[in-house]
Amino acid sequence: MGTRRRAASDVALTVWGVVVFAFLFAPIIVVVISSFNSGRLLVAWQGFSLEPFAALVSKPAIRDSVIVSLQTGAISAVVASLLGMLAGIALARRPGRWAAWFIGLLLLVSVTPEIVDAVALLPWLVFLGQDLGMPVFSDGIVRLVIGHSLFSTAVVSYIVRARLIGLDARLEEASADLYAPPARTFLRITLPLVAPAVLAGALLSFTLSLDNTVIAAFVQVSGSTPWPVYVLSALRSGLRPEIAAVSTIMLILSLGALAVVWLVLRRSGDASNQIARTLAGG
Amino acid sequence: MRRPGWLLAVPAWVWLLVFFVAPVLQVLWFSFGYKPGIFGTHANDVLSFDRYAEAVTPTFFATFQNTLWVGIAGTLLCLVIALPVAYWMAAKVPARHRGVLLALVLVPYWTNFLIRTIGWQIILSPEGALSHLGQALGFGPLDLLYTRPAVLLGVVYNYLPLMILPLYVAFDRVDPALREASKDLGADRLRTLFGVTLPLAQPGIIAGIVLVFIPLMGDYITPTVLGGARGMMVGQLVASQFQTAQNWALGAAMAVLLILVIAATLGIAALLAWLVTLPFRARRRLRLGEA
Repeated sequence: MGTRRRAASDVALTVWGVVVFAFLFAPIIVVVISSFNSGRLLVAWQGFSLEPFAALVSKPAIRDSVIVSLQTGAISAVVASLLGMLAGIALARRPGRWAAWFIGLLLLVSVTPEIVDAVALLPWLVFLGQDLGMPVFSDGIVRLVIGHSLFSTAVVSYIVRARLIGLDARLEEASADLYAPPARTFLRITLPLVAPAVLAGALLSFTLSLDNTVIAAFVQVSGSTPWPVYVLSALRSGLRPEIAAVSTIMLILSLGALAVVWLVLRRSGDASNQIARTLAGG
Repeated sequence: MRRPGWLLAVPAWVWLLVFFVAPVLQVLWFSFGYKPGIFGTHANDVLSFDRYAEAVTPTFFATFQNTLWVGIAGTLLCLVIALPVAYWMAAKVPARHRGVLLALVLVPYWTNFLIRTIGWQIILSPEGALSHLGQALGFGPLDLLYTRPAVLLGVVYNYLPLMILPLYVAFDRVDPALREASKDLGADRLRTLFGVTLPLAQPGIIAGIVLVFIPLMGDYITPTVLGGARGMMVGQLVASQFQTAQNWALGAAMAVLLILVIAATLGIAALLAWLVTLPFRARRRLRLGEA
């Protein structure tokens, strides 16, 4: 009797799990299918066609927005992983009272709703660019990189710190004992140790940047509109299947980056639980 | 020679102070100002709390109420949906399959937020497949898009992975031997669940609630895509003050209020949780005293 009830509850759990996973994938599958819609409207299915994918080449506005997104993603990945790597190393190897303050700041950056970041950055960049006369802050790509790098910097810092805390500090001490100057210890010991974490962080930053819609919508300058902001504006004028088609390509790009992250962390010895936690943003 | 420890963190410090702390403080400053005339966006020569008063006038207050309703209902729904899934993944699925399932939870999480919300717009649309199916079965055309339930569905969907992941990590840390011990000591399955498994998973439950509730309250994309005029949230109010009304002072006050509402709600929730679990904890202590 008891075992039968147990089996029934296990079946119920499994059914629930499968239903929820179907729920999680439903809209993504719908978008992928819609990219082959030959009709003019995204929401109304007409027939099968590969034509929506041609928009990536034939429509300059779409092509340019994808290029802006890729550029911004690459630059903000470099900025965030550089800043985050240095901060993460300092947090792991030289903790002190400053570290508590710094982690507090990183937490604030990660929990602040994006819309608040967005409406705060817009006037601030206008202030820096126009009132203080620094034209660099009026550049579209610079603005996007700044906006996209904030959360990513926090993510890379967490990842690098977590990685280095798990590794023995005596490796660096041994190098110093063997008379390596600090710079060489850093380059030959610390950097190789954190490299997998930094690479993973850089790819995550790239993906985060590709996805960023809210901050981008506020800080963008016309002429350098990134892809998600193009989609957001298309929302008002009517969505066409080409939106789904280009999104499908971007989705494949994002998932490819994530798969590389998974492989890099796997090879550096993380268990899948740890990887999942890393991928969930530290 | 040992350099000070925080030296390597200086670039990140500077970056975040200049591009995060300073802008947020500027918004706080704007919120005490006003909009001077039609063409100005903000002025701060006279400081007051007037914009805060303006932000809670009936028109805007309804949106704050709606946001809080969607925020609380959405977070609780996420919790209720995610608890069995996370438990199933951590305790029932064979260990070698868990990595794949985790990866599958991460796929929607890393799919563009706007795009997956548009996926729901396609599903819910009156011209969409689901609506046609409903009509074929004798129901009317689907009239769910641009309503509050559509927004609720959207936020539950969008933030569900953020609830599943911390819960999974928490359940995964609970040693199966503890559940076995509870059963061996005569507790039935429900008692084991509520007396052992859930209390041990508490850190994950708290993390999940915080991780879902905060961004959900500030959501701007989901209500824009699925809500229309009937499902407005504060994020849209703030955005419209900055983008269309060009009233930065009022928008800033709304943004600050949003953060205060989030903090106050989490504070009240923590207090309630503490009060509700008080009798349980007192009883447990007593038991230990007897033994």
